[in-house]
Amino acid sequence: MTIQTPNGFSLDNSGQRIVVDPVTRIEGHLRIEVNIDESNIIRNAVSTGTMWRGLEVILKGRDPRDAWAFTQRICGVCTGTHALTSVRAVEDALAIQIPENANIIRNIMQLTLQVHDHLVHFYHLHALDWVDVVSALSADPRATSELAQSISDWPKSSPGYFRDLQTRLTKFVESGQLGLFRNGYWGHAAYKLPPEANLMAVAHYLEALDFQKEITKIHTVFGGKNPHPNWLVGGVPCPINVSDTGAVGAINIERLNLVKQIIDQSRVFVEQVYLPDLMAIASFYKDWTYGGGLSSMNVMSYGDIPEYANDYSAANLLLPRGAIINGNLNEVHEVDLRDSEEIQEFVSHSWYSYADEDIGLHPWDGVTEPNFELGKNAKGTKTRIDQIDEEAKYSWIKSPRWKGHAMEVGPLARYIIGYAQNNPEFKEPVEKLLTDLDLPVTALFSTLGRTAARGLECVWAAEKLQYFYGRLIDNIRAGDTATANTERWDPSSWPKDVKGVGFTEAPRGALGHWVHIKDTRIENYQAVVPTTWNAGPRDGQGNIGAYEAALLDTPVDNAEQPLEILRTIHSFDPCLACSTHVMSPEGEELADVKVR
Amino acid sequence: MASTSESSKKSQGLLHSLVSHATEVESPATKVYVYETPVRLWHWVNALCIVLLCVTGYLIAAPPPSVPGEASFSFLFGNIRLIHFAAGEVLALALLYRVIWAFIGNSHAHQIFLPPVWSIKWWGEVWHEVRWYLFLVKVPKKYVGHNPLAQLAMFGIFVLPLFVSVFTGLALNAEGEGIESLWYQAFGWVFALLGDSFTVHTIHHISMWVIIVFSMIHIYVAVREDIMSRQSLVSTMISGWRYFKDDKE
Amino acid sequence: MTSPATFYDVFRQQGISRRSFNKFCSLTAASLGLSPAFASEIAHAMETKRRTPVIWLNGLECTCCSESFIRSGHPLVSDVVLSMLSLDYSHVLMAAAGHQAEAALEETRREHAGEYILAVEGNPPLNEDGMFCIVGGRPFIEQLQEMAAGAKAVVAWGSCASNGCVQAAKPNPTQATPIHKVIKDKPIIKVPGCPPIAEVMTGVLTYMLTFDRIPPLDRLGRPKMFYGQRIHDKCYRRPHFDAGQFAEAWDDENSRKGYCLYKMGCRGPTTYNACSTVRWNDGVSFPIQSGHGCIGCSEENFWDNGPFYERLASVHTPLGVESNADKIGVATVGVIGAGIVAHAAASALQRARNPDNAAKTGAGE
Repeated sequence: MTIQTPNGFSLDNSGQRIVVDPVTRIEGHLRIEVNIDESNIIRNAVSTGTMWRGLEVILKGRDPRDAWAFTQRICGVCTGTHALTSVRAVEDALAIQIPENANIIRNIMQLTLQVHDHLVHFYHLHALDWVDVVSALSADPRATSELAQSISDWPKSSPGYFRDLQTRLTKFVESGQLGLFRNGYWGHAAYKLPPEANLMAVAHYLEALDFQKEITKIHTVFGGKNPHPNWLVGGVPCPINVSDTGAVGAINIERLNLVKQIIDQSRVFVEQVYLPDLMAIASFYKDWTYGGGLSSMNVMSYGDIPEYANDYSAANLLLPRGAIINGNLNEVHEVDLRDSEEIQEFVSHSWYSYADEDIGLHPWDGVTEPNFELGKNAKGTKTRIDQIDEEAKYSWIKSPRWKGHAMEVGPLARYIIGYAQNNPEFKEPVEKLLTDLDLPVTALFSTLGRTAARGLECVWAAEKLQYFYGRLIDNIRAGDTATANTERWDPSSWPKDVKGVGFTEAPRGALGHWVHIKDTRIENYQAVVPTTWNAGPRDGQGNIGAYEAALLDTPVDNAEQPLEILRTIHSFDPCLACSTHVMSPEGEELADVKVR
Repeated sequence: MASTSESSKKSQGLLHSLVSHATEVESPATKVYVYETPVRLWHWVNALCIVLLCVTGYLIAAPPPSVPGEASFSFLFGNIRLIHFAAGEVLALALLYRVIWAFIGNSHAHQIFLPPVWSIKWWGEVWHEVRWYLFLVKVPKKYVGHNPLAQLAMFGIFVLPLFVSVFTGLALNAEGEGIESLWYQAFGWVFALLGDSFTVHTIHHISMWVIIVFSMIHIYVAVREDIMSRQSLVSTMISGWRYFKDDKE
Repeated sequence: MTSPATFYDVFRQQGISRRSFNKFCSLTAASLGLSPAFASEIAHAMETKRRTPVIWLNGLECTCCSESFIRSGHPLVSDVVLSMLSLDYSHVLMAAAGHQAEAALEETRREHAGEYILAVEGNPPLNEDGMFCIVGGRPFIEQLQEMAAGAKAVVAWGSCASNGCVQAAKPNPTQATPIHKVIKDKPIIKVPGCPPIAEVMTGVLTYMLTFDRIPPLDRLGRPKMFYGQRIHDKCYRRPHFDAGQFAEAWDDENSRKGYCLYKMGCRGPTTYNACSTVRWNDGVSFPIQSGHGCIGCSEENFWDNGPFYERLASVHTPLGVESNADKIGVATVGVIGAGIVAHAAASALQRARNPDNAAKTGAGE
């Protein structure tokens, strides 16, 4: 049976059903089901978020100054980005102005996350979709060395280096204990890299695993730990003291030197390892053009990285802001997070109930009651689901819409918007990448485009780290060492009833927090996160979301080993703990929750 | 001559109180020996410790402004804590001593540890006292020891919180002694009972406020009764003798 | 596939010399706080052992524990997963997905029954028949209990598995439950923290692999070696605490001098963890060193002991007003004080009106 969705996709659920559950190498719990036709082409896709924690219910009645810590625990992978969004939302509500240094340090922390998260995503969560580890065993170390040296100046590229690694890998495989590489789709026809490229990539997989921990030390300097560094409403918690007695207890020149060194190392790693690897791998997969989904039609970004403190207008944001609909790159729409007509969440196909499920609710007015029920065509039982019924409710994720449109968010969305705005920081690297790979602009709208945009953004973020480090030094040199504004620290100085909104661009895309503070306590808290936008189910009109759209029309070589599904889903960098959340705005009890 | 009597028989201990209630007297002697020396001593040691503990405890929760100089030069906060711990240990030992005395002292000695909450008659007397303090009863009953309401108050908002303070305090001190210490083995169970260290701190803190509230009421009523009831209260806790000032000789 | 390799074989196969191997053993001994004599014991253990299978399950969580684990600087996590143990299942890192992933789980359960270590990140929700967390179409709790049944020992990673953590904070809408309440018949090593320190995580695992025993645990089931003392006990700012030198406000003169953060709500005095000694991310810093108080993330109930910036927890009063012990205490003292004054006045009035009656009254206090 073929259905035409209002947003222009055709779905046919008549063919063989393939279920991938659990989807691994992601954050949280996700289930994907697809139908393939007789030519093994995906004709229907169903994305099901399979966890719910209720964090926003828990936030009700808490001190808004603590909210960053709770919301930070929404996700430990994009650690910090929820905390930053939260302190911005609270500061917006309470009209708190932060010092310039605090803005710079926050940007440094957010950019550090971008660099770290993109790097870990590429090598540890995504690379094995493109790289065959077992094939690396048959590579010629000398040829691998030549390949590596032809694409990068990275020093670890001698034949001996690759030979040692290959030996290590061989013995590992021969030990019979494959550990994390167990049951991978090794030898799958969709792997296209020659053995040498595979060996190089595996070497960098391990190098990146050892290097990623260095990047996060920037969080440790300013926030005391990583994952989950500390933040502060009104600024940042780390004081600066570079010259006076007691400086060793604060951000001093030794700490700053450490940060500088890590920034330098990160830039080198990203430019000499990540980007060349990305280009090399992409050059072997140029023919694999699938997975575009919504990216060629509807993309959105809230923008982030305010160059100067306390100004969240698009002109001050270094990451672009705006929305593109119906693929019209000539018009970038302004996005208003406060407008109740723009961002709305629907639950027609989500395991929640609204009084009227035909309408969507703005986060400030959202209602959520969990309502777990499987559709009548679902196979299995309540606690043993064999097949989801996508005609009914089928996910713990809601369906957010911008002016009724399903949108894709993330690095690719940001780059498309930056490109459409003719912002050279985004347009030029994209054009260079396309030229180098000899691809048309339309190649961007694909799984590979998503992966490439993430790599470009990682390079961009590392550069910006250096920029903000310089700004911090300039400020301190000029005598400005303020890091926190405590004028409104005391709750007695707060207005009685206020609302605020905070936003960032998380590594995975547009992230917004909406907070309502009443009598110094949180009355309502709502987060709409990137993976909710991307992984959300159908809405009442039948519009499909970004994951489902991206899977359509992809050929699957082997239904038993659906590598292609993982490839496309991983290109979004799913974060399920983020996407599944709920807050009941008036604080009413969650009707369906039974206590046993 | 003033007739004197050692009120009730000695050494009946706690078991006795299972059947005896507060000692209501029909025609009291003019002078009765109520509080034996150990009880009086405990009372005043307790009072001193509680004052010290409340002052230092408050300062521990809300420290005074910072002192100048290098950290190693000063031990102000350490000393405040030291006084708190020392007073706490004295308080705990005194309580232990007082509990022992409840078994061996006179019938008044155990009144505050075991109000006869199972006795309907006793609750009737509590209600009578409540009405007396609400000015609804003109003539109160006379008691040699604590009246039933006082007994209930002593138990509920003094003895119980005192035990809570002491055990939570000892448990918190055990943390300082270290989890391998005998001290911790003796009092670590408090954490199993009440939860994490922070919660135990909170409960310790709340018990202080209960004891402060009790102390205020206690001092007020003692002074008031001393004046209004024409019987000695304040001096009784010094000499041990209760004088009924209006009873004719 | 050929004969099973021992730890040491794997080292040698990877081209690591005997000398480097010995050096590694002594470093491991040092990082575990053991005397150098233990190095030979470690070496012996590694020479004779096959890599222990580890199954790492994820329930309701945020993946901060997995993220922390890969931050380990000593040992490097690449060495941990390639040489020290066999990470047969990990939602976050494993190559396989879907039924191939489930198969890996099943194979380990069958082939290594009683041998593998079960490491649990996150916890199971019990409400909605467990369907607030679904893995492979089934409630996570089923997977957890099945895998626990065949495990040699269970490691509870982080505060979710150990204490419930954020999703179990009031009102705990999903009935998220720490794993010791659903796994009763296996030794459980709790490694709390949100997340735990990377080197503590790898330290606990390598201790078990190396000495083939469970580390000594405290009353709550935490390894004494890392959770035996409070952050406060070993905080480098402790002298400022004892002296009475405190940061009074964010970014004030005192905080710039590195004074004690006690007045800013620091939970160091009530938190058992190794942050102030092992520190974070290869010893770079820890929260207090970077100017923010400890929030007590390895303690039970720490989310419900907020606000994090006050020394006293918020208390929900029966009237629904948020307060804390001091506010309630002061208010009560005020009310009682006022009551006393009023009562004293009424008593004086009655006495003035009715001197005779009053004279006859009397109730022993």
